[in-house]
Amino acid sequence: MSTAEPHPQEAGSQEPEPKIVAFLCNWCSYAGADLAGISRIQYPASIRVIRVPCSGRVDPFHILKALQSGADGVLVSGCHPGDCHYLTGNYVARRRFAVLNDLLEFAGIDPGRVSFSWVSAAEGERFAEVVREVTEKVKALGPNRKLVKEPAS
Amino acid sequence: MSREEALRKRARELLESKQVVMVVGHRAASTKGKAQPAFIAKPEDAESLIFDETCGQNLAGHLLKVKHLGKIAVVTKGCDSRSILVLLKEKQLDRAQLHILGVGCEGVKEDGKLSDSCITCEYPNPIVCDEMLGEPAPGDRLQTLNPKPQTGELTSDERWRELSEDVSRCIRCYACRQVCPNCYCPVCFVDASQPALVGKTTELSDNMVFHIMRALHMAGRCVECGSCARACPMGIDLMKFNRKAAQIVKERFNVVAGVKEDDAPALTVFDPNDKQEFIR
Repeated sequence: MSTAEPHPQEAGSQEPEPKIVAFLCNWCSYAGADLAGISRIQYPASIRVIRVPCSGRVDPFHILKALQSGADGVLVSGCHPGDCHYLTGNYVARRRFAVLNDLLEFAGIDPGRVSFSWVSAAEGERFAEVVREVTEKVKALGPNRKLVKEPAS
Repeated sequence: MSREEALRKRARELLESKQVVMVVGHRAASTKGKAQPAFIAKPEDAESLIFDETCGQNLAGHLLKVKHLGKIAVVTKGCDSRSILVLLKEKQLDRAQLHILGVGCEGVKEDGKLSDSCITCEYPNPIVCDEMLGEPAPGDRLQTLNPKPQTGELTSDERWRELSEDVSRCIRCYACRQVCPNCYCPVCFVDASQPALVGKTTELSDNMVFHIMRALHMAGRCVECGSCARACPMGIDLMKFNRKAAQIVKERFNVVAGVKEDDAPALTVFDPNDKQEFIR
């Protein structure tokens, strides 16, 4: 770990937000985030949104890569079961995420580092609530030290 | 007649009558006490076939390399047959082009010691076969030898430390992938460069991602034959990850890889009522 630049969560006194990568499904959660925005609902500025066509597009690799690249947490959010734009994308994704979730726990990655949620396009308030909750969880865990890659020297 | 004698006789018959073009089995390797896969195409070579406790290699994967030749007979113990079933379901093999010679397996030994995955083996006899050579192995003998290893109640940090010790020894030689009967992707995720999904260094982070993703790719497919753990030159217990993945799939989706002929691989299908307690 380079010492030149302290981790944003440790630097400064005003408790900076953790970095959370959010994979949001274009058809629901992304629109939900949009709704939260246009409704002026306040939530922590901790998430970096990556728009994906479906939660089924999210490869477990993407999640691990985010953690390796220095994200403190990852949020994956898609359509409620039964509401998938592609009919079954989130059902198949759910199985994959279930195995990943349990494997990460087995490997000793703190539960809460990677979160999953279903948020529809009409649930702006819920989206804000999810982000608040995830941010709190990640904050409590502190900076991601386990999977993050040492910067090349 | 012993399994081995029955096997040689039958292999010769099948080749002589041209029912198959090749018999895939085991033969003694140049290193004493080790076996290697044998690809027998001439009836007279059938005498070199062996089947004993050294024959640990899962032969299912080798079928993918010779399947273009025509109908193949394959020597199949419990785990091989499960791998074959997985490959059949994934449309990698054609059942009509296979002649499965079933043999009961008493467990594979390494340096005189029963291999870990054989201690916990529940399927010493083939699930599918066209004919059984010799007597089936006693099914409950291996099961009662030892209980399944327990992971115990460790905290996240303890588990991380424990697995880190294992995983940090990995030199990324990919012997585990090469030997795995169910690894056949034309471009493996570790070799893919566009996008380069997993880092190629041997630092802990990359190694851990490699092993987690390997387990994930094997979830619902790994038949726990233990070939990877036996192939590992660094002696890493690779089955820790695979066993965990198999356990997750069994607990969550009630699927065991390669024991039924008519079910689908666990991660290719879904049930609308799958548990989702981890999703908010």
